Amino acid sequence: MSTAAIRTHSLSRQLIGGVLLAELLCAALFSAVAIGHEMHGRRRAFDVMLRGRADSLMGAVQDAEDPEDNVTVDPTELVLPAQDVYEVLNPSGRVLGHSQASSGELLAELSASRADGSFNFRAGREYYRAVRFEGVRVIDREENGGYRRPVTVLYAAPTRDLWHGAVEAVQFYVLASVLLLAVTGFALVWFLRRRLSPLQELAAIAGRVSTRSWEFVPPAAVLRTTELAPIALSMEELLKGLQLAFERQRRLTGDAAHELKTSIAVLKSSLQLLSMVPRTAEQYEAGLEGLQLDSERMEELVSRMLTLARLEEAPVEQSEACEMQPVVREVAERLRPLAELKQVVLEVSAAEARAIAMPTGDAELLCSNLIVNALQHSAANGRVSVVVQTLDGVTQLRVADRGDGIPESSLPHVFERFFRADRSRSRASGGAGLGLSICKAIVERSGGTIHIESAVGTGTEVTVNLPARQISAQN
Amino acid sequence: MRVLVVEDEVRLANNIAEALRERCGFAVDCAEDGTDGAALTEFKHYDLLLLDLMLPGLDGLSIVRQVRRRKDMTPILILTARDQPAQVVELLNAGADDYLTKPFDLGELLARAKALIRRGKGAPQPELTVGRISLNTVEQTVRCAGELIDLSPTEYRLLEYLIFRPRAIVSARELLEHLYDYNWQHHSNVIEAHISNLRKKLRAVGEETTIATLRGRGYRLEAPEQQR
Repeated sequence: MSTAAIRTHSLSRQLIGGVLLAELLCAALFSAVAIGHEMHGRRRAFDVMLRGRADSLMGAVQDAEDPEDNVTVDPTELVLPAQDVYEVLNPSGRVLGHSQASSGELLAELSASRADGSFNFRAGREYYRAVRFEGVRVIDREENGGYRRPVTVLYAAPTRDLWHGAVEAVQFYVLASVLLLAVTGFALVWFLRRRLSPLQELAAIAGRVSTRSWEFVPPAAVLRTTELAPIALSMEELLKGLQLAFERQRRLTGDAAHELKTSIAVLKSSLQLLSMVPRTAEQYEAGLEGLQLDSERMEELVSRMLTLARLEEAPVEQSEACEMQPVVREVAERLRPLAELKQVVLEVSAAEARAIAMPTGDAELLCSNLIVNALQHSAANGRVSVVVQTLDGVTQLRVADRGDGIPESSLPHVFERFFRADRSRSRASGGAGLGLSICKAIVERSGGTIHIESAVGTGTEVTVNLPARQISAQN
Repeated sequence: MRVLVVEDEVRLANNIAEALRERCGFAVDCAEDGTDGAALTEFKHYDLLLLDLMLPGLDGLSIVRQVRRRKDMTPILILTARDQPAQVVELLNAGADDYLTKPFDLGELLARAKALIRRGKGAPQPELTVGRISLNTVEQTVRCAGELIDLSPTEYRLLEYLIFRPRAIVSARELLEHLYDYNWQHHSNVIEAHISNLRKKLRAVGEETTIATLRGRGYRLEAPEQQR
């Protein structure tokens, strides 16, 4: 078993997967945008807060009360979070004051910035956001208007809480979209199952079709579905055609079996009758003669069945062709003794005709079948006429007799296999009801048409029209 | 006994008819198509109908239906080249009694034909007895108290026909119809002659069972009362 050889795809699974993936992407994008937006707002608020804290730090810058009139940071009244980092520098770069808890490296990172404004940096594992600005502290205002002491303030705080806060704020939206995803996923599975049920029904009904049960009636749900209706209708059409072909084949096989079994039954019963009781030499001789005839008839039947099978097997090959005129003349000459025996006049009028795409052997078989049929249906002193002529490039062969004709009810069936208009009589003359079937197969194999006209008491005429042989382009 | 064979394959029909005449001593008529066959069944001369299924004119199944619609109880044996179960079921349901598929064994056909005739006349065994006489339909022999009586084929057929219906009056016309086929000249004095010979042969072995002639009505096989 090689079921693994074909990888199967489930349409519904693919659809559900696709929709869920799109939903997941949407949810992720939405969450990212929400987090980004939240972070942006929080960062701005953070910056304002930083500036506020830096301003209060600025407020702590005071006169150092030293002879050089320097300023210094007085931390006594300063209340700032312990994890914050700050530094106040004078224009010469001397550190006027810094956060006490901060390490040297951290302060070095902070003071590395030379431009005013907000900036980010990293020290160790911690991320910081910082603000730097230049400020002026005026001291000794009462003495000659005071001295202006410019300072640089650097203030930083860790952003850890900023990120956590943003995530916490967005968490609700993320959870909501995950929930939505799950709900729509289930809803989708249910919906698709429901909507795809016509497909499964169609598959189930198609699965029930077999050579024994041809019933295929697409359910209404399938016919209402725009995508499925054409499939179902074409399947119905296809199955009808197949059923007809199958039934014809089955009937043919049945008919062939019937003919063969009957032939064997004749042979067998003749043999058994002969051997039932001891008989005289004359009786044996007569019996053997009958058996000889029976086996010849069976041989004829089998050979005709095989001819028919061969004709239907393959189309005419490109190279095979013949002319009707010489074939008709030859066949008529061969059948003349039979015509004389039956005291029937056999007239042949064959004009020059074009080459037709028919093997010579088949053309002979066609002519002899038609002429023999006509002769057999003619009474003594009758007349059979065979005409070959070309009409508009089409070769026409007409075989007419003035015999007893075929009843109208039988006429549509004469080309059917094993059909005998007058069964007992044609049995007696050795026919198996295959002659006209063979003619039809030969003619149709060469792209021609055959039809029969008959009236009881007046006679029968068979007309065969054969197109001229097509010379193919490559030759 | 008289049998009708309806079979379009003339050689086969002739073989069957020949075997039935030779081996069973039956009178046989043949019809080549269904229409003729159906017409012949209307005379009710037959003790068995042997029908081919596929026939020109009227098929075997239609003949079966026609016969049964007339409440005709004649046993029917069908010959068919097709043995699909559905078809067999349809045939038997339509009123056929048995069927054989072609190609069949001639011996089997004869045995089935005899069995059907026997059954049709209400006799379950191939041996029939009246008084001291016993008639074996398989061997086609007649014995009186175990002693073989030598009868001509026609005498045997006469006795066989009568023994199926002991004590019933059988007309000369019926005997003619059931013992001879259409190729025979119908003369009731032929029957009278055979009956007379049969009576003599039975009397010769001391048998009290005899064939009574009822003038203008027919014949009756009579067994002595006390032996009932």
